[in-house]
Amino acid sequence: MKKSSIFGLVVIAIAIAVIISVYSNSSTYGSFKDAQSTESELHVVGHLDKQKKPFYDATKNANYFSFYMKDNKGEECKVIFTGTEPQDFERSEQIVLTGAMKGHEFHASSILMKCPSKYTNNKVEITEFKAKQASI
Amino acid sequence: MDTAFKGEHLLLGHLGQFFTILAFGSALLSAISYYFATTNKFDNSWKRLGRIGYYINTASVVGIGVCLYYIILNHLFEYYYAWEHSSRALPIHFIISSFWDGQEGSFWLWTFWQAVLGNVLIWRAKSWETSVMAVVALSQAILATMLIGVDIFGQRIGTSPFILLRDAVDLKESAPIFAARPELYHNYLSYIKDGNGMNPLLQNYWMVIHPPTLFLGFASMVVPFAYAIAGLWQKRYTEWIKPAIPYSLFAMMVLGTGIIMGAFWAYESLSFGGFWAWDPVENASIIPWLILVGAVHVMIVYKNTGHSYFTATALVLTSFVLVLYASFLTRSGILGDTSVHAFTDAGMFWHLVADVVIFLTLAVVLLIIRWKELPHTKKDEETYSREFWMFVGAVFLSLSCFHLVVVSSIPVWNAMFGTHMAPPTDPVKHYNIVQASFAVVVTLLTGFTQFLKYKKTAITKFLATTIVYLALAALIAGVIVYVTGVYKLQFVFILIMVGAVYSILSNGKVLIDALKGKFKLAGSAVAHIGFGLIMVGALISAGTSKVISENNTGEQFSDDFVKAKNNPKENIILYKNEPVKMGKYLVTYVGDSIAPPNHYFKVDYKVMDSAGKVTQEFMLRPNAQANLKMGLISSPDTRHYLFSDLYTHVTYSNAITIGEGTPEAAHDEAEDDKNYDAPVAYEVTPGDTIRFRDGYMVLDSIGKMDHIQDITVTDKDLAIGAKLRIVSHNKTYHAEPVYMIRSNNAFDFSRKVDDAGLKLRFTKVLPQKHKIEITLYQQPESARKWIVMRAIQFPDINFLWSGTIIMVIGILLSIFRRNKELKPE
Repeated sequence: MKKSSIFGLVVIAIAIAVIISVYSNSSTYGSFKDAQSTESELHVVGHLDKQKKPFYDATKNANYFSFYMKDNKGEECKVIFTGTEPQDFERSEQIVLTGAMKGHEFHASSILMKCPSKYTNNKVEITEFKAKQASI
Repeated sequence: MDTAFKGEHLLLGHLGQFFTILAFGSALLSAISYYFATTNKFDNSWKRLGRIGYYINTASVVGIGVCLYYIILNHLFEYYYAWEHSSRALPIHFIISSFWDGQEGSFWLWTFWQAVLGNVLIWRAKSWETSVMAVVALSQAILATMLIGVDIFGQRIGTSPFILLRDAVDLKESAPIFAARPELYHNYLSYIKDGNGMNPLLQNYWMVIHPPTLFLGFASMVVPFAYAIAGLWQKRYTEWIKPAIPYSLFAMMVLGTGIIMGAFWAYESLSFGGFWAWDPVENASIIPWLILVGAVHVMIVYKNTGHSYFTATALVLTSFVLVLYASFLTRSGILGDTSVHAFTDAGMFWHLVADVVIFLTLAVVLLIIRWKELPHTKKDEETYSREFWMFVGAVFLSLSCFHLVVVSSIPVWNAMFGTHMAPPTDPVKHYNIVQASFAVVVTLLTGFTQFLKYKKTAITKFLATTIVYLALAALIAGVIVYVTGVYKLQFVFILIMVGAVYSILSNGKVLIDALKGKFKLAGSAVAHIGFGLIMVGALISAGTSKVISENNTGEQFSDDFVKAKNNPKENIILYKNEPVKMGKYLVTYVGDSIAPPNHYFKVDYKVMDSAGKVTQEFMLRPNAQANLKMGLISSPDTRHYLFSDLYTHVTYSNAITIGEGTPEAAHDEAEDDKNYDAPVAYEVTPGDTIRFRDGYMVLDSIGKMDHIQDITVTDKDLAIGAKLRIVSHNKTYHAEPVYMIRSNNAFDFSRKVDDAGLKLRFTKVLPQKHKIEITLYQQPESARKWIVMRAIQFPDINFLWSGTIIMVIGILLSIFRRNKELKPE
């Protein structure tokens, strides 16, 4: 067999190995319910429950941030993140969490927020027109 | 019917829009003319027409730029682009860079550079001009479609930067007043006082220089691609490689520089906490680069030995298609929730797909048609030959690229196959390990290939030198690994260190030989040394970076929280003027300096020897902007040393208020007392001391005053000041509250000592007791100013930056050399 054919086989083998390693390393999107039934980390997509205020008090613990999120199936869960409250958190419209369930709390290792308003803020700021309102 | 709107400058927009259409038309004309110029070699008029088309295209691209610049510079907010990306408050260099803040502007940069490169080719490409320019002009025409923004069959093609604000945004919806009172609507512009402004994170000098460099890199990738296509098309299979090498080297140099600039920017001023985060957007820029580096090496192999023709062609073609694919990934919105940085979809998804498909099809079809005629080598390469191992290296670079493509494209696979895969939960670790494995092979190859000759090498001598150098490299790497602590990492990272040192050593030898006479070999040697240093720097700094603000204190809110093995707790709270020990540093948050819109937190670092003497002291000023629209955005500050950097990033603080520095923030004096605890009154005489929570104060003297700031004190008035010396946390402050009687009314002027959290009033004069009354307002404990910050030490990162500069110099030398080789043509 020619050397280049052997090398070609090696390359194909490595490529397959890469695909397998990516596939086995890749995670899944799931709900809080799915997270209950597994030990491994997964991604949960949902949105912040704005009725319940997120909790962060740096004077008590600078690395504890908790909030309540509703996943896309409507299930709500308390989420804990070891770090500071991300800036602009309460304005987020969608949240992608990575993490695992510990007891009844979801421990997020990363939080990714989508704030569409951040870059495409389509609200035009208008200086409101207040004059001409005669007061008697 | 169109209403006439007051104050709009519509002419510019019309002119700009005209230029976008002209740019497209002329590029298309140029492409078609060059096509016919290539097929009818004896008719020179086609070629002339092609050139004219390209010149007109260049002029219109410049025209688009001038119109858009005029709009942005003059704050014509009737144009959406100017309103969206700039504001009046921006300094001039950011106004300039707000030009490429959006998709349209970055497409313009790309098309501008491509226009410039096309003109270089017209000037220099000689016999290649017609065929190469046909491809470049085609690419230019397709890029122009991205900027047209015209509706065809109800489908908008591209996005124009000249869209009007009132067309892009429903003003009546976002400002109800216009709906309620339509008569105001025609005058809407007088209500739009300012634009949206630029994301504070982008307000950095790198924003001025990084995108133009990156897009010059992307744009220049079209040149080798066009040569490869022209070579296949014109059956000049063997000839195209030689003239294409300098252009490929140029693209490799510029894109490489652009990528590292991005890394440096991320490191210096974004809050990544590092220089590379393997975000899909970052990957998108490095994907085509890796393939191009492989392509350049195989092109050189082909030029020297006639081997690997097909690989060289295929890699060059792939590299450009990957540029387009990368642009699809970052601009189509497909990355969705896997990336923080990607653009959102601007309605160009299928347009971008078409762009990739057109050039991919062109490349594949030509390869298939010409397959039988391609100069395939029958003979196998020698095992002990340079060409074989360069080829292997190129293949490994491609594999590394393949891995990046597979992972970054997970959302694409999901869209294509309807799956629901998510990226790895710890992407950085995943990328690091897989990419490190490829890097080990590549660094080793850049090392021992230097000892091989083209065609055939004497085996024994080669093996001897290789092994000696490898042993030496292992030894040196061992020392480095031990000293820096890299040995604590996975084994594969230690192997990279060996590979990188090996590469530096053997290329060092080549460089020394080159300096003795074979100077033309210097370029590659220098570039490889640079690459080796990049690897060393990246490895040590990323692998052994240490969070020095580690913090395991704090209330534990639940049992699960305590049990969970949480990531290192990186954030620490610093109360103002209260020093905290972090590693070898004594760190104190000493205050703020505010220069709207920036708010700098002054963080003082001290190093003390065992006797308690300060041996070193410096101040870092991480910056934050409390932007009304975007909330609090902070960027780090870094102390640079030769062998280590100290990075400080404020993640949270109560010392900054949203919108501070703006007129609306000026607050009501009466409301102010609510910020303090209930006041306490003290009766004192000069010399008396008042104690408070964080220190004490002494009444030094009482005296009559002639004037109080801008109020003149007349003979009928009486004004007395109480000179107070306040000592808090080893710092002394002075304050002089004033008591005043004017026309039988008593007033007083309070004084604040913000650093000590105090407000002082001189509230009464008690002549019978020979005393005065000082009322003390203390801020409650919780209102004391604090910041939450994290500090990370990055050792040896300077190897990374200096390696980059060395690599660029090396590639530059190679460009000169390859250019010289072209001369005899």
